Amino acid sequence: MKKKSILVLLMAFILMLAACSNEPASNESNDDPASKDDAKVEGEITVWVHPYTGDAAKEEEMWKEIVANYNKDFPDVKVNVETIPWSNRDQKVLTALAANNGPDVFYAIPDQMPQYADVGMLLELDPYLEDGDLDGFVESSLLSTTWKDKKYGLPILQEAYTFFYNNEVIEAIGEDPAKLPTTWEEFDAWAAKAKEKGFYALNYAGGGSMNGTIYPWIWQSGGQVVTAENEVKINNADSVKAFEMINNMYEKGYIPEDSITASNHNELWFGGKMLAILGSGIDLTLLQKEGTFDFSIAAPLKNKEQLTYGTTGMFVVPSNSDNPDAAAQFVKSVTNAENQRIFNTVTQYIPTQEEAKDIFDSNEHMKQLSTYTQYALPGVIHPKGRAIMPFIQSEVQTMMAGDKTPQEAADAAAEAIEAELAKP
Amino acid sequence: MEKVIVNKTQAPLGHEKKIKPPLIMRIKSEWKKNSLVYIILVPVLIHFTIFQIIPFVYSFILTFLNYRIIGTSEFVGLRNWSQLFQDKIAIKSIWNTVLFSIYYIVPTMALGLILALIIKSGIAMTKFFKGVFFLPVVTSFVVVAGIWEWLFSGTQSGFINYLLSFFGVEPQLFLSDSSQALLVLAGLSIFKVSGSTMIYYFAGLQSIPKDMYEAAKIDGASTFKSFWMITFPLLKPIHFYVLIITTIGSFQIFDSAFLLTGGGPNFSTSTIVYYLYTIGFTNLNFSYAAVLSYVLFAIILVISLIQRKYFGKDQGLY
Repeated sequence: MKKKSILVLLMAFILMLAACSNEPASNESNDDPASKDDAKVEGEITVWVHPYTGDAAKEEEMWKEIVANYNKDFPDVKVNVETIPWSNRDQKVLTALAANNGPDVFYAIPDQMPQYADVGMLLELDPYLEDGDLDGFVESSLLSTTWKDKKYGLPILQEAYTFFYNNEVIEAIGEDPAKLPTTWEEFDAWAAKAKEKGFYALNYAGGGSMNGTIYPWIWQSGGQVVTAENEVKINNADSVKAFEMINNMYEKGYIPEDSITASNHNELWFGGKMLAILGSGIDLTLLQKEGTFDFSIAAPLKNKEQLTYGTTGMFVVPSNSDNPDAAAQFVKSVTNAENQRIFNTVTQYIPTQEEAKDIFDSNEHMKQLSTYTQYALPGVIHPKGRAIMPFIQSEVQTMMAGDKTPQEAADAAAEAIEAELAKP
Repeated sequence: MEKVIVNKTQAPLGHEKKIKPPLIMRIKSEWKKNSLVYIILVPVLIHFTIFQIIPFVYSFILTFLNYRIIGTSEFVGLRNWSQLFQDKIAIKSIWNTVLFSIYYIVPTMALGLILALIIKSGIAMTKFFKGVFFLPVVTSFVVVAGIWEWLFSGTQSGFINYLLSFFGVEPQLFLSDSSQALLVLAGLSIFKVSGSTMIYYFAGLQSIPKDMYEAAKIDGASTFKSFWMITFPLLKPIHFYVLIITTIGSFQIFDSAFLLTGGGPNFSTSTIVYYLYTIGFTNLNFSYAAVLSYVLFAIILVISLIQRKYFGKDQGLY
């Protein structure tokens, strides 16, 4: 009896597995992508977006307008826009795609793109792009949508991390808000003065993403983490300078004692105990809201290079989309200058189409921030970009705790990255 | 004599009974007897099969594949399993989880018992204290963790550091120090969970007959002695239950590392569940994540069996 019931269960399980297995994505459409532009674009697509602001009603209007613009060119396509909460978005996208039940277009960030593209999860968009289609985009924004010379998405928004200074602290240390530091040396001199007067110089959320902590310093010093060709460069002479800079700032108390694992330093910053933060548009919004002190925004620092981090938000098409033509055309449409104006006016991110930046003509601070996206790198563009981050983080933490020198930490990070890259 | 004859005649009859009636007949008679049971049971079993058995079996199959979300997965044999033994961080995460259990289980039980005794002692405003002690249990973990992070901020202006400064203690790094971070996280879990262990112990204390204390009093036993000789041993079933659930809870710890430290500094707060989460959902390596989840399963199974063997034998009150 027992044996039989196990057998029945097993049969049921096998049947379920067979039912769940992925049917191959329709191949007809993959035969000749080049000819697709001429074919009639019709059918239905599902677009997954996220709540970019707190105002759902306003966003609903925004999407209606964007879809209406798309339907002007492709009236036979029905577009379903679904707003998916940010939390666990990776799981949601992956689960839906694995079940062959996912969206035809979804929003992706630079960390995800190469990881997804490398395993063939994303549709290559080059066959849909004509000459001149990419001309209006800020060059740095296309870095994150490209993997191994192929385009897998088009960017809709960008950010740039840069320095926000508390003017009251600047005055307290006897400096001039009109002459903000532009190089590492100048910043170091200000930091020393701030420390002397009992302030912290800078925030450092060592428990968060490396994009907002050590990476900008590595890029500014002329270094790199790892290239698309798997060359590990985190321990070359230039990159090590960034490790030294962070170590120096921690040892001298320029950054707070809990910087090793802190998730933010908002309390110290808004409490007026900090000279500057490395922040982005969201920090600007917070500053304008809290409004306890005057502030100034400075350009990203320059050492060997003038670079910083800035995420790029893009729309991509999964390779198992049922309607890749309509989906690809939607990605092109939603990221054109007109729709970027609509999107970024509501969400207050920086457009990736140069001409759409005119939405900030009357907003002095955002206008200034939007000029810095040209320096903004989107992180480490590599399929293992996210997997290697905890190793680098751990070595930087060990260095800050005083257990390793900057060179030792960088070497250990390089070793860990190589081990991770060697994994299948 | 008679008995023997009866036995002889009954033996062939008993043998006859073992011959099964046809399957359909058996199903029919079973259905007649227990149809209601089956009607109620089937939806539950279907649910159990889809959401428990299939994932359980399929995740085991996953451990032998190089699973790809889109496209065909390939069979890789024991590659994912052999990776486990070379993975220093996986081993460190398992060790961290064991350490966490040591920091967490006994203090949670002790604190829960102490709180229950305070309530049981009949002090003024019992209901108020019961509510206060239980408050962290019903508060969202994210909120409690946020408060904990603020209390244990590693800067001079951190609340606990400020308190310590009155005793001449240097500011501590807490979550930023690899030797303290796990202790702080254990403290958070103890704070969060003791309220519910208190309720279990409180229920246990209510069930101890009062006359035992009265008898002890007549015999001249002190309060301390009657606690150790009566209360503590008679709470054995509760001890066992609380021990099992706190042990399982401690091995499943994830949220505090996820919210407060991101597994750092230097992987000192990376627990097995946190690590398997990052392997699965950050690195997209679901096959290796499945291996780690089976390791977790094995650990919890073995510990539960050991606990059952040594602590769970005598469940009776007396």
